[in-house]
Amino acid sequence: MVRVELDGLTALFHRPSGMTHILAPPAPQLLDALAESSATAAELAERLGRSFQIDGGADEMAARLAELEAAGLVQRV
Amino acid sequence: MKHALNLQVGPVGFRVGSDWRGPVAALRALYRGYPEPDVCDFSVRLEPEQPWRRWLKPSVAIRGDYILPDAAPLALPHGLLAAEMGMNLQMALGQKHYLLLHASAVERDGKAVLMTGASGSGKSTLAAMLGEHGWRFMGDEFALLDFDTGDLHPFPRAISLKNHAIYAMAELASSERFGPWLRGTPKGTIRHLRPRDEAIARMAEPARPVLILFPRFDKAVPRAIRPVGAAEVFVRLTQASTNYVALGERSFAALTRLVINLPSRAIDYSDGSSAIEMVEALWAELGQ
Amino acid sequence: MSEKIDQQPSEPVPAPSRRMVLALGAAAASTVVTIRPALAQTAGSVLNCEIPVPAPQAAGNYIAADGSLVAPGTAGSFPPAPRNLTGEEVKVMLRGGPSPAGIDSQSAQAYANYIRRLQAGMSGFTCYASLQMPR
Repeated sequence: MVRVELDGLTALFHRPSGMTHILAPPAPQLLDALAESSATAAELAERLGRSFQIDGGADEMAARLAELEAAGLVQRV
Repeated sequence: MKHALNLQVGPVGFRVGSDWRGPVAALRALYRGYPEPDVCDFSVRLEPEQPWRRWLKPSVAIRGDYILPDAAPLALPHGLLAAEMGMNLQMALGQKHYLLLHASAVERDGKAVLMTGASGSGKSTLAAMLGEHGWRFMGDEFALLDFDTGDLHPFPRAISLKNHAIYAMAELASSERFGPWLRGTPKGTIRHLRPRDEAIARMAEPARPVLILFPRFDKAVPRAIRPVGAAEVFVRLTQASTNYVALGERSFAALTRLVINLPSRAIDYSDGSSAIEMVEALWAELGQ
Repeated sequence: MSEKIDQQPSEPVPAPSRRMVLALGAAAASTVVTIRPALAQTAGSVLNCEIPVPAPQAAGNYIAADGSLVAPGTAGSFPPAPRNLTGEEVKVMLRGGPSPAGIDSQSAQAYANYIRRLQAGMSGFTCYASLQMPR
């Protein structure tokens, strides 16, 4: 993935699909947290919690992950 | 094709063929002074919708290397418009060497202003007017962004003026530069305006873009200038490009570099002189 | 040669005593926008198009109020449009504007719904796609 910060948002080029996406927080941070290895939603929240104070619960996390999945940027394993 | 014309516009060579004499004759007159290409990159063919429509209520179908399904034919008197739309279509669907932006552009001192917006927003007329006020006209329909250098290449086709803009430009440009009146076209009343000789002579000279404008001509709105954030500019330019997605990572790199490095402004105006003043003021403010 | 753009680091360095808040947003929010191929802005310059209702492939069918194709004479359905609809007319219809000349408003609604259901490969689809303005 190639990323460029634009004015508070992240432009991302996804090489495998050739698609460009514009991401708003927390999407880029979620992708970073998944970069090292896959995780369950709970593990993801925990990883993020090391760097951030998370404002939101399981429903919101699920919604964010569903968006990333619909865009082809993450997949369930 | 019985009648044909080869035309060089900026870095692109076209061959426009027609079963009727009229459209090619009109094109040849409008593009007087343009060079002939060494190589034709695209061909446009104006053909009868069905064979018997060549003579009976002639209708001109726009065909060529690239076509769009659902395209409706035009009446023969609008053949010149059909030729122009055909050339636009080849660029929109076939251009691969440059990132194609639906935008107008003008140049001064080797630097360019890129003006983009939906059809009817005023970018064509503004570019035409600036071209009569000390700027070199680079194009009103498409701007070609070089993937390697980040420069804009001119694409100085005849300017398509609609309705009121025809009268505004008639006061600034000599009458022999205008094409025929085309009334009752699907896009209203149109006249084409040939760019100035200097713009034609310098069609191979690229320029470095330094300012992005989103012009909006509207008699009802007050004069205004607003900055536009880089993310919004980026998304709007992807929507103004017909080949952004197809050309992959090179597009992403070229367009992000453009929006990060260039200031962007939305300008609203209700008359041409205001628009020119605003552009000149921005140019001075940027230290150009 | 195209230059590589390095990944920008996006995690802020956490302050020793306080982490930055990361809001996950509302469940219905949108934080990912995908760039789609676009013809809409250029369409006026390249395409003079019309949409037949229904497409020739479906000739003989009537249009139900929801835009689906039904047998002729089905109760509550509308006959085919008397003529092809121009791109401009369709743009206005889809925005909820006045119906095209010679077409009553109920038929126009049914035709608009038919057009919204068009799929690639059917006559009129490219025209419809070219009218889409981005969100």
